[in-house]
Amino acid sequence: MPGFLKEFFNRNGMGMGLTILGLVLFWTVGLIILPQLSMLDFSFRPNLPPPEIGGPKDVYTLENYKYLIFGPEGGSQDYNVVDLKVFYRTLIAAVFVTIFNLILCYPIAYYLGQTKGNHIRIFALMLIIPYWINEILRAFALRIIFGESGVLNTVLMGLGVFDTPFDFVRNDIALYAGLGYAYILLMIFPIYNVIESLDRNQIEAARDMGASWWRIHRRVVIPYAKPGISSGCTMVFMLSAGALAAPQILGGPSSLWFTQLIYQQFNDNSDWPQGAAYAVVLLVTCILLVLLAMRLFKVNMGDIGK
Amino acid sequence: MMSERIIRYSIWIYLGIFFAYLLGPLVIMSITAFNSPTFPRATPWECLTFEWFSALFQDQRILNGIKNSIIVGLGTVILSVSMGLAGALMLTQIWPKLRATYYTIIIAPILIPGVVLGISTLVFWDRINRMLGLGADSFLSNGLFLTIIGQSTFIASYCLLVLVARLQRYDLALTEAALDLGASHAQAFRKILLPFMRPAIASAAVLAFLASFENYNTTTFTFGEYPTLTIELAQKVRYGITPAISALAFIIVALTVFFALINESKIKRKEQVMEARKNATVAELSKGVKVPGFLSGNPAAIVLVLFCIGSVAVVGTATAYSPDQCIARVKEQKQIEAEERIKELRRKRDADNLKKFKGVFDPDEISPEEEEAPKQDNNSGFGGVFDPNALSGDDDAQDGSDASGGDESGNNSGFGGVFDPNNLNSD
Amino acid sequence: MSAGVGVDLENLWIRFGDFVAVRDANVHIKGGDFFSFLGPSGCGKTTILRAVSGFLEPSEGNVLIGGNNMKGIGPNKRPTALIFQNLALFPLMKVWENITFSMEIKGASAGERRKRADELLEMIALPDQGDKLPSELSGGQRQRVAIARALCAEPDVLLLDEPLSALDLKLRQHMRTELREIQKRVGITFIYITHDQGEALTMSDDIAVMRAGVIDQIADGKTIYNDPATAFAASFVGENNVFRGKVAKVMGNEVMISTNRSGDLVSRVSTANQGKLNVGDDAMMFIRPEALALAPDGASGDHFVTATVTHEEFEGNVFNIFTEGDGGKEIKVSLPNLGQSFESHTGQPITLEYDSNNAVAVPAGELAAE
Repeated sequence: MPGFLKEFFNRNGMGMGLTILGLVLFWTVGLIILPQLSMLDFSFRPNLPPPEIGGPKDVYTLENYKYLIFGPEGGSQDYNVVDLKVFYRTLIAAVFVTIFNLILCYPIAYYLGQTKGNHIRIFALMLIIPYWINEILRAFALRIIFGESGVLNTVLMGLGVFDTPFDFVRNDIALYAGLGYAYILLMIFPIYNVIESLDRNQIEAARDMGASWWRIHRRVVIPYAKPGISSGCTMVFMLSAGALAAPQILGGPSSLWFTQLIYQQFNDNSDWPQGAAYAVVLLVTCILLVLLAMRLFKVNMGDIGK
Repeated sequence: MMSERIIRYSIWIYLGIFFAYLLGPLVIMSITAFNSPTFPRATPWECLTFEWFSALFQDQRILNGIKNSIIVGLGTVILSVSMGLAGALMLTQIWPKLRATYYTIIIAPILIPGVVLGISTLVFWDRINRMLGLGADSFLSNGLFLTIIGQSTFIASYCLLVLVARLQRYDLALTEAALDLGASHAQAFRKILLPFMRPAIASAAVLAFLASFENYNTTTFTFGEYPTLTIELAQKVRYGITPAISALAFIIVALTVFFALINESKIKRKEQVMEARKNATVAELSKGVKVPGFLSGNPAAIVLVLFCIGSVAVVGTATAYSPDQCIARVKEQKQIEAEERIKELRRKRDADNLKKFKGVFDPDEISPEEEEAPKQDNNSGFGGVFDPNALSGDDDAQDGSDASGGDESGNNSGFGGVFDPNNLNSD
Repeated sequence: MSAGVGVDLENLWIRFGDFVAVRDANVHIKGGDFFSFLGPSGCGKTTILRAVSGFLEPSEGNVLIGGNNMKGIGPNKRPTALIFQNLALFPLMKVWENITFSMEIKGASAGERRKRADELLEMIALPDQGDKLPSELSGGQRQRVAIARALCAEPDVLLLDEPLSALDLKLRQHMRTELREIQKRVGITFIYITHDQGEALTMSDDIAVMRAGVIDQIADGKTIYNDPATAFAASFVGENNVFRGKVAKVMGNEVMISTNRSGDLVSRVSTANQGKLNVGDDAMMFIRPEALALAPDGASGDHFVTATVTHEEFEGNVFNIFTEGDGGKEIKVSLPNLGQSFESHTGQPITLEYDSNNAVAVPAGELAAE
């Protein structure tokens, strides 16, 4: 290790080397590792008023995790049915959103990656523009459309599909559409990046050998695009499970997202350790699910983020 | 071939649906910015109005949010681009055995939910703050500081990905050549590597600013006393909406399109210059390259010019145009409709008819409670300022709400006395 | 320009982990010389150059420039300028900015720099090209710009890392002459790295032949060609026919080698190995293709070789005959074309003769890969 450091400073000079090393350490240790560990530590502590922190009552406890499973002590139910249900539903919905996004985006990514011409740049621009606009505004735009007297209801009723306005919000359709909408770019980009590097001749060759359209994708394109697909799916899953804005704005009154529970613990109940514990549970579960899926589909960690 | 044509058509149909899903919401939201009802809606179209724009610019909370967002954005750009660049430089020369671990650590923030990042930032710096024995008003618990730190944690990873892509094409021999010619490491960095990285740094900076500007999940835990625009918007969206927000969205869309077009026409122009340089002889080069006219063969530039003309025209119309007459007419019409409806209801009640529905309804009749809002605000003349309660205005409290709605909006929101310029010649 | 600063490598070792890139190199380079390191790729010659320019810290031993030990002195503080294999011209700077980069570092004004750039552009015969970008120049022009950029720094020692390898053959030959001329004009020490023996032989005052981190021989080109110190030097520089065998008899500066295939042959012992070859030692004897001649049929003795011709080729200036040789290698004979008629011998045995002065014997060793 000292050898590596010596070479590092030789190569970058003392001043530059220290600057680089300092920034990298600040980022990795100060911003990534320590805060996460700190949150983990915090989640095992009781919720105390500031003067008592560090005092005799500040001991490690599993209370916050127990709360998620069993609910408040002496509660009417054996389990914390409400929160667990929200947790479960959040994960299922995130999986659903991921699959929906993959199906929606794969053809677009394939088309963009395999077609040449000026109009592709225009398409790319059109893809990016919505993401230069505030996350809240995007969700808000969908609410205008899916609202009870929104555009969609007006149009559908005008066409005579419904007699009365359909409540897209209460039925979670607005939420799913919003979550899907929020992460389209994150799904398209990794897949596009990989497919763009796929030699067109491979597809031509497969077609030449009489492979059907479906078989070309199944045997040539999808295996090649696997790193991009897994990258996109991982990001969409993690981010939609961790979404907060879309559920707050588009979610129906009865359908909570797990992140909203965390938010409530922090902002409404002022119970930070409880919120931290929920956040840890969310993070760890999501990571485990992603690792499981990666094992299932035989993808490497190194492919993510490429 | 028949099947090929079908495939091509279906591709285009798919693209059409896809982009409708993608862009439709923005278009519809933009339309609502010009429609007069106080609840943002595109249908039914009532009156063309520009009052939501002036309402937007008189909303102190929004303006304050924009100010905070810009401060946070600039801080995040500086911090995350420098961390991203340092991280990328480190990635290219780190000890091979550490490389995979290091890469996992610096990419992880992209995958960690923003909520978690916000919480961990808050908890960690709160603890540091306490360990140092500082008060609740110290620098370390300042909302701007926490937000910049929290956002930079993951935005730096985005920057890193952008920067690494370019850094991989950098020839290390260039730095060595500079050193060999007598430059110090800092000079070699500033004069050789930095200029080479400039396009990527610019992209990373734009990306970082946009990501910071729109971030909600992390910021919502860290903003403290400094709500950013996104936070303000979220509050508004949750507790009451006016088309002033649509107006803001429209402005952002317009600016985005504007800059995208500028960028596009610049790229095109650069291509043309390169083409010209390539074809030019030495003699021509020394005389300066003859660049084809700015517009020729540059569709983006043409659209850009049209876009500018269009915006000037719209702004011009906005200053001259007054929607009052139209609004008054719509209001009158609605009052008549409402009266008729009441009569109708009475008639029905009188007839003691048990059947509630008698065929196809007029769209206006379907959600009367939301029809309510426009009337209140139109009457009051307070542009864009309204009472959240107005949204759920009661069907029967029609007459009274006109006045009270207006008053409340002034008091509740705290913007009383901020008049729409149009209001001066109304009433 | 300061002239005549020498470079010394003293017991230089360079290791990367367990791998030894340079093994105990000792070289004295005279000031104002054109000195080449010649060897196949991966032999450690570029490593030596990086140690001289300061990008690499030697594991052991010293680099001296003008008698001063360079230990701990960074590349930006050494009186050397390096011309990189890929030239490493700054792509975003104009040609004149590239050339005067070293002046920019010292804070020279733009006017001064421009003036100096124009002088140097004149010298490298590229006037009026200063405002172009490197990407707008041809390969040979870029080459010259790189030289001008290095010279602008007024180094005592110019280091060149295979700078001609990217050029086509014709340009390469032209640039050899030009480089040599520039070196004579500026009079500073050039250290040149190449795997091309033609380049080394035509340009250098002295050449160091390197193999796998070891310097086999340091001498001028003629000596290396005619009097190689090792089997590797003999086989790497120029074409050579090898005959393996054991020393049968030592006769002063000559030895009799009983070869595996061609009977007993007599040879001069190379200067570096005189007195080191003893009876019974494994030895190798080398004879250049041009040193072999056709002998009358039936001639025999210790300077005649008999072999069957496998094929022949006419090259213009020479007529080449290939015969079966030692260890699967063919023996090549080049007969100068003086207008005489050549009759075909393919498939027939022929007898070749040579002068023992033109054969050279060295201890058996590793041969250069073809």
